[in-house]
Amino acid sequence: MKLIFALLLFLTISSASVVDEYLNTLTKEAKIENPSFSGFDLKKGEEIFTSKHIGKKGKEVSCVSCHGDDLSKTSKNFFTAKEIEPLSPTANSQRFSEVKTIEKWLRRNFNDVYNREGTAQEKGDVITYIINK
Amino acid sequence: MKLLILLAALASVVLASSYDKKGVAVATDKLYIKECGACHFAYQPGLLPANAWQKMMSNLENHFGSDASLAKEDFDSISKYLNKNSAEKFMNYKRSARIVNSLRVGEVADSISKTPYMIEKHKKIREDLITQEEVKGIFNCTACHTTAQKGIYSEKDIMIPNFGRWED
Repeated sequence: MKLIFALLLFLTISSASVVDEYLNTLTKEAKIENPSFSGFDLKKGEEIFTSKHIGKKGKEVSCVSCHGDDLSKTSKNFFTAKEIEPLSPTANSQRFSEVKTIEKWLRRNFNDVYNREGTAQEKGDVITYIINK
Repeated sequence: MKLLILLAALASVVLASSYDKKGVAVATDKLYIKECGACHFAYQPGLLPANAWQKMMSNLENHFGSDASLAKEDFDSISKYLNKNSAEKFMNYKRSARIVNSLRVGEVADSISKTPYMIEKHKKIREDLITQEEVKGIFNCTACHTTAQKGIYSEKDIMIPNFGRWED
């Protein structure tokens, strides 16, 4: 029992460190993009996540269109109706547990909603919003 | 005697071109199911010939209007899986054979829904039942085919949302 507990604790800490480490990487990139970079901004992240834009498919969408208003709940892909597991790492421990996966979805979804990739600042802002919501 | 030989020859041709299995071979590759199944039903590779899969994979940055790009190693692995299990290599499965045989010589399908066999099989369904929220389009196999995950697309297993069973 103690062992399971220790393992769970270890997993929690190690998954937290994946996103923290990734945010550190983004911080370094953001400082190169902008020397007066002053940290990631949850409010700006919220704006990035919830505002609507004419996306890659030519339809007005936001991140919310697929991930829903409540990030602790499952939602549905706006275009395919396929179920999407909760995005919040507090509700779904699989989220933000692997840098490769984080980067893949940021690249794809910025392209889908904004028709371009996000800057380091934008990626950090939106992650800060998601993990704290 | 001549007639017998002719009959035997005819029978062998018929048998060689017929299938002995229902439906389509199930999708088994974990990476394929995880990556492609994240946004839509993980279609069985036997639903399209290799040339169509290759065409689709060559433009994942704009995959039916979405960015579905993959890391290089995953792209290679999934491409290989699709190529190894594509429809023309599994002609002993009814649906694979029907799809392949419906395509014109040299025709490379843009999607499963656009193959002549699929168009034919779905043409009698009312448009509003296809575009309704629960279905969204012909691409959403599992919305009506309750056994699609098993590679079975029989009429008796169809249940259309807000309509019910389908009898042709």
